[in-house]
Amino acid sequence: MPEMTFTDAARAGLAEEMARDPLIFVVGEGIGPRGGNFNTTVGLHELYGDMRLRDTPISERGFTGLCTGAAVLGARPVVDFMFLDFELDALGEIINQTSRLRWMSNGQVNVPIVIRGGVGVASTGPHHSANLFSVFMHIPGLYVVTPVFPADAKGLLKTAIRSNDPVIFLEHKKLLKLKGPVPDGEYLVPFGKAAVVRSGTDVTVVAISFPVIEALSAARMLEADGISAEIIDPRTLVPLDIDTILESIAKTHRLLIVDEDYGPCGAAAEIAAQVMERAFYELDAPVRRLNGAFIPAPYSPPLEAAVVPNAARIAQAVRSLIQE
Amino acid sequence: MAYEVTLPRLGWDMEEGSLAVWIKKDGEFVKSGELLFTVEGDKAVQEIEALDTGYLRILPDGPQPGVKVPVGTLLGFLVPENERDSFVFPGGVSASTSMATADRVTNPVVDLRAAITSEGEGVLPVAEDAKPRRVYISPYAKRLAQGLGVDWQSLKGSGRAGRIMAADVEKAATAPLVAPKLAGIASSLTTSIPPQAIPESVTRQPMSQTRKKIAEHMATSAHTVAPVTLTAEIDATELVGLRKQLKADAALGGLPLPSYNDMLAKIVAQALLEHPHMNAQIVGDEILYSNTAHIAVAVDTERGLLVPVLRDVQAKSLRQVAREAAALIEKTRQGTIAYADLQGATFTITNLGMFEIEAFTPIINLPQCAILGVGQIIAKQVVTDAELEMVEIRQRMVLSLTFDHRLVDGAQAARFLQRIKRLAERPYVWLVGS
Repeated sequence: MPEMTFTDAARAGLAEEMARDPLIFVVGEGIGPRGGNFNTTVGLHELYGDMRLRDTPISERGFTGLCTGAAVLGARPVVDFMFLDFELDALGEIINQTSRLRWMSNGQVNVPIVIRGGVGVASTGPHHSANLFSVFMHIPGLYVVTPVFPADAKGLLKTAIRSNDPVIFLEHKKLLKLKGPVPDGEYLVPFGKAAVVRSGTDVTVVAISFPVIEALSAARMLEADGISAEIIDPRTLVPLDIDTILESIAKTHRLLIVDEDYGPCGAAAEIAAQVMERAFYELDAPVRRLNGAFIPAPYSPPLEAAVVPNAARIAQAVRSLIQE
Repeated sequence: MAYEVTLPRLGWDMEEGSLAVWIKKDGEFVKSGELLFTVEGDKAVQEIEALDTGYLRILPDGPQPGVKVPVGTLLGFLVPENERDSFVFPGGVSASTSMATADRVTNPVVDLRAAITSEGEGVLPVAEDAKPRRVYISPYAKRLAQGLGVDWQSLKGSGRAGRIMAADVEKAATAPLVAPKLAGIASSLTTSIPPQAIPESVTRQPMSQTRKKIAEHMATSAHTVAPVTLTAEIDATELVGLRKQLKADAALGGLPLPSYNDMLAKIVAQALLEHPHMNAQIVGDEILYSNTAHIAVAVDTERGLLVPVLRDVQAKSLRQVAREAAALIEKTRQGTIAYADLQGATFTITNLGMFEIEAFTPIINLPQCAILGVGQIIAKQVVTDAELEMVEIRQRMVLSLTFDHRLVDGAQAARFLQRIKRLAERPYVWLVGS
């Protein structure tokens, strides 16, 4: 199995899909001949030209609305927002139209659109570091996908493109250069299937997006203390594979949720609530959350290091949870 | 500032009680010292005076009459005139909506806390022991304990602040069985009996406060003390004669006639002072000897058995004892006896003679050392002189002394009963006083 980076794996998935279906096209700022700010479309313009790799002006709401219309008419657009933060300018369109048209038309139209963008705090300052997981989780009609490993970047993107409903595809910027084995050719990862990325017996750690990597480092630190942590990567937040999480809790009886996004009303809060509802009597300690600080992301690297969950903080939280 | 009205503690060992009835109505003006409500304590119903002056506002979701709540539970407020209109119950229940929710029953402990946090300064601190300590256990550990049949309430947790975790339960489940402590037996008494099918022909009635207390107290006694009962038939002819003379005495006019119980109380008081080891109780590793005789007299009431206490009997004349006993018994039967009047006895006398019982084995009223059971006085044919082959008709009575063998031995107790016998047979000896 070839090793490739997250970006290359996702691009391979996109290229395969574009080769398969001529109705797939990409829209975004700088995704044409430039190949995308994050190299999401490198080489594809040469293959498919302006018609299928369409550079846009800085008019997020406009091109999102246009792509929603194109999707209704049968095309399969991929809207590349570069930084997810820019999606906020198109949110009215996404929430009011893209996510609702299927219901409003009584199922007569589908909106097969992929909305992708870089998320996360990565020395990118207040305007380019949003995660916004819970904003999308809160809207009915949107799939929310958070790949971590290169293989999942490819497999989940291919599933997203084939989805007949809108998908929000969120790529943490610290993951883009992460290398890993990626299956060749047709490889699809289903939505709603979490991955147990490390087996353990003492505590379950559900980590969302990049913190999965930090949680794995933390698990190695904890192993030295004799604490065996099971790490779960939900892979998709909508649909959420709560069953895999519950199964793990039935084994470990303790849960820590790590999410770089803000705590209040966040993805971690939603998981905690579902666990409380369905696995209360499995819990030997209160559910714990470890979130990014509830402040706009700072630009200064030392400050940034202080506001996001890292391996040391995860390990500390697990130790505290074990003593609870 | 509104004054809190809380459930008072009516005796040193009272942990909970129930509001019996509000004497004043919600909204009524109450002056300090006026009777505000009555409380059903462990055994007594007591009238409670208002400690402050103001308009009574009964907590709308406070304890309902008859519902047992911990001592210190908030019942309502006395609101001064100048705050009458602006008064709001803690937790935001406005005065106007209070009536609508008056029939709601909620957890009084929660109300209490809400009152403390929202009132801030000026609120009387609630005694720490008024709140029962909660045992914290994780949900998983709790379920595990139930599955393994572990009594987690008695476990000591290894988690933060003593919280019980699954590991503690597992440890307890695998630990070798230890003999349960004596104290635990009494409380688990009812649960250790295997449940049986209840026939349909039963009438269900909740246990009254008094009944519960008696049950608890008797079970504790039965499983704590080492009881031995001695019986002695005594000659009560002189006692009967004495009572006849007192009855015939014109000077007595209107005063209560001393009962046999009153006479026996005097006799026992005298005997107790002469045998202090019978006037004792165990406290921890020590034995406390009382140098006064507080004698409880068992009284049968509609609410159940109650034992009002005659104090310092040795220092009082028989007439005084008779007068006090009559008043106490009357109050006990009426149910107006104060809690304090049921506390602190060093010895108990119980008399079943009026029911034609000759002898019985009473249960010791803890923490006392002994109890005297008094039987019926019966005229019997008795050999009074074997040599002369003389037979007489005498008034006879059986006394049953149950004592705690932990505190005293058989011979000591026997000497004590013998002394009672002597004093009862020769009343003039104790009538002289000590």
